[in-house]
Amino acid sequence: MWSRKSAMLGSLAVAMYLLGLTLRNTQLVTIAVVIFVFLTWAALLGNHADVASSGRRAEEWNGEEGVALGNVVAMRKLSSARMFEDGELNVTLRMQNTSSLPKILEVRDRVPEVMRIKEGANYILMELGPRRETFIEYTVECPLRGFYSLGPVTVRIQDAFGLFHKEKELHVYNDFLVFPKMEDLKETFVKSRVPKIFTGAVNIRQPGPGSEFYSLREYFEGDSFRAINWSAYARSGKLMVNERERDAVSDVIIIVDSRAVAETGPVSRNALVYSTRAAASLAKYFLGRRDSVGVIVYGDEVVSVDRDTGKKQLYVILTKLAGAVARGNIPLQVVVNRILPHINKGSPIIFLSNLEDDPAIVNALRDFRARDFDVTVLSPSSLEFEFDAKRIDRTGYEVMKTERDVLIGELRGLGVNIMDWEPDMLLSTALAGARGF
Amino acid sequence: MTINRPSADTSHLYDGKTVRSSAPSRKKAAGQVGTGSGIPEDAIPTVEIPGFIESLLGGPLVPKMKFLPPDKMVQNLQIGVYGVLVGLAFLTYIISPPQGTMWYILTGSLGLANIMQLTIIASATVLGFMGTFKRDARLSLGSNLLFILAILRFASSKTSLALDVDIGPTMLSVLVVVYAVLLIMYFELSNGVIRYSMLDTSIRTNEVYVMNPKKIVGKYHRSLVINPILATLLAWFVLSANTILPAIVGIFSSDTAQRMRESVELTSVYGVALGTLFVFITVGILFGLNLPTHLQRFRERQAE
Repeated sequence: MWSRKSAMLGSLAVAMYLLGLTLRNTQLVTIAVVIFVFLTWAALLGNHADVASSGRRAEEWNGEEGVALGNVVAMRKLSSARMFEDGELNVTLRMQNTSSLPKILEVRDRVPEVMRIKEGANYILMELGPRRETFIEYTVECPLRGFYSLGPVTVRIQDAFGLFHKEKELHVYNDFLVFPKMEDLKETFVKSRVPKIFTGAVNIRQPGPGSEFYSLREYFEGDSFRAINWSAYARSGKLMVNERERDAVSDVIIIVDSRAVAETGPVSRNALVYSTRAAASLAKYFLGRRDSVGVIVYGDEVVSVDRDTGKKQLYVILTKLAGAVARGNIPLQVVVNRILPHINKGSPIIFLSNLEDDPAIVNALRDFRARDFDVTVLSPSSLEFEFDAKRIDRTGYEVMKTERDVLIGELRGLGVNIMDWEPDMLLSTALAGARGF
Repeated sequence: MTINRPSADTSHLYDGKTVRSSAPSRKKAAGQVGTGSGIPEDAIPTVEIPGFIESLLGGPLVPKMKFLPPDKMVQNLQIGVYGVLVGLAFLTYIISPPQGTMWYILTGSLGLANIMQLTIIASATVLGFMGTFKRDARLSLGSNLLFILAILRFASSKTSLALDVDIGPTMLSVLVVVYAVLLIMYFELSNGVIRYSMLDTSIRTNEVYVMNPKKIVGKYHRSLVINPILATLLAWFVLSANTILPAIVGIFSSDTAQRMRESVELTSVYGVALGTLFVFITVGILFGLNLPTHLQRFRERQAE
């Protein structure tokens, strides 16, 4: 390919040549000839013109690389295919020259734009000897969740003066996943009022199978001998048994708003980023408590992870949260209508949204409350993100803030535990605030 | 919510307004609130694209940046540019006398035209020095354009000299070829200063990693020697069409060859054009036969 430099020199040479002939100026023609010679020599060495002269049709041609780059091979290895936000990824790129000629190559491994190179370089200028290989190592920092792909590897060979170059894209791709980072939660103040038959770690203030002492009662036939409280028997003369407080697994439903409006604000500080991080932290906490957690992410479609327990469920949830993209504008009411028949009455519902651009949001949350669901809303304020980024002026901020406060007040009036989550507030603080602590 | 505001009373903001139960669209609001509706700086990842002039001058390997102090390689190139610049300024003045310049045609005064020509050459030289010293591509480009402007002369089919020195036509041709090669080398070296400054800076700021830099620089150095020699030889060959063609024709007919030698056209710029035509038709045929690819394949096979 011609570089701009060679195109400029070529144009200059043609202009000088024609002008020289017109003005009968030998100097101009001579300069033009010298430029032509330079270009010709560079093109000859740079293996140029094989496209033009080969007569191949465009669809038969799969690159501009020519012969020189045909023997360059790339392979890549990642230190991990999954990590959390702010994690580091070590990349090892292996470049091979299978040809018998040394090559001076410019190699660029394409890294997603949001990633930062922390150590090493993904852009290398190298002299690769005949039948040699080399390893290029660099570290990227992954600040934002998502599905990412490294590649392709772009290889360029050019003449010493940078007049002509050949480029080849080596289609070597490596996918990896960045999960939202999680905050360690000690307490969420969210408990189910509805017991389930499985044992778990949440006390629901009813006697039943469990680990915590609940009360003493008289012995009935069929009670386990192991439950007899011998001290109480000695004191009262009656057989007494220990009753335990029933542990239960709660159904916890986390709803994440990933509509297009959720991404309002800077790339790294917006409602969707906060919501996904909060959802991940909450899921980890509840699953650690042996609760059954389901996640619904809605934007242009409703994506749900069915309720389940265990580490595998956490992985499934994290994967879904990593892939949440701000798109569409489905109202919350659609989600409510869809999930209402499938969730147990009284289950805690945690809704993560900036509460914007959805006029039916009050009605949707009212539907939950009307069916006695314990609703907690954590609302990362896009308004604050935008104000911090100096995108809105103070008057606009004040007006919209007040409107937001009115909405929050209205929801609070419905019995929704709601918190206006400011950017610098920890999740645990926001949760405590929502639950009235 | 704890936000420090100058005044807690915002009731005046609601005069004539209807307060909705849902928050307004941020997008809509951003368009209405006036100031600060642009995309926040950190919303877009920084992708720097080389400037137009940088691209014209060979294209940087890495984006626009402030250069770090020059390393030895860049310093050597700068010294090379200074040397070439002095020689080029001198040769430009010698081979482009004021007669035939547009200044002479416009003013009709040889003295004024001489002053103009000298001013242009001096400006080109000073700009060239400054551009190379400051490593500013725009100044270098200005210098290149001024050098080209200095050589634009009318009705100068016969090369003449500004100095009153009597040299033969061969020496004159040599002088013109050397001048042309020096001009191109100046273009290349001044561009090299910028390119290698960028490369050096990006190496030192860890944007680019260079493996075995000596070999890469060595290749450039070799090209700086080989290319001018080749250019001189080929240009000389092209410019000698008026002697080569009669010599070839002389094999078949000595009379025709003699007539060609005496032909005014062949010894003028049109002779040069004819030589260029022959040489580049040959080059075109070689490219048409895909010689570069065959050459590369041959080199690959030979290496095995």
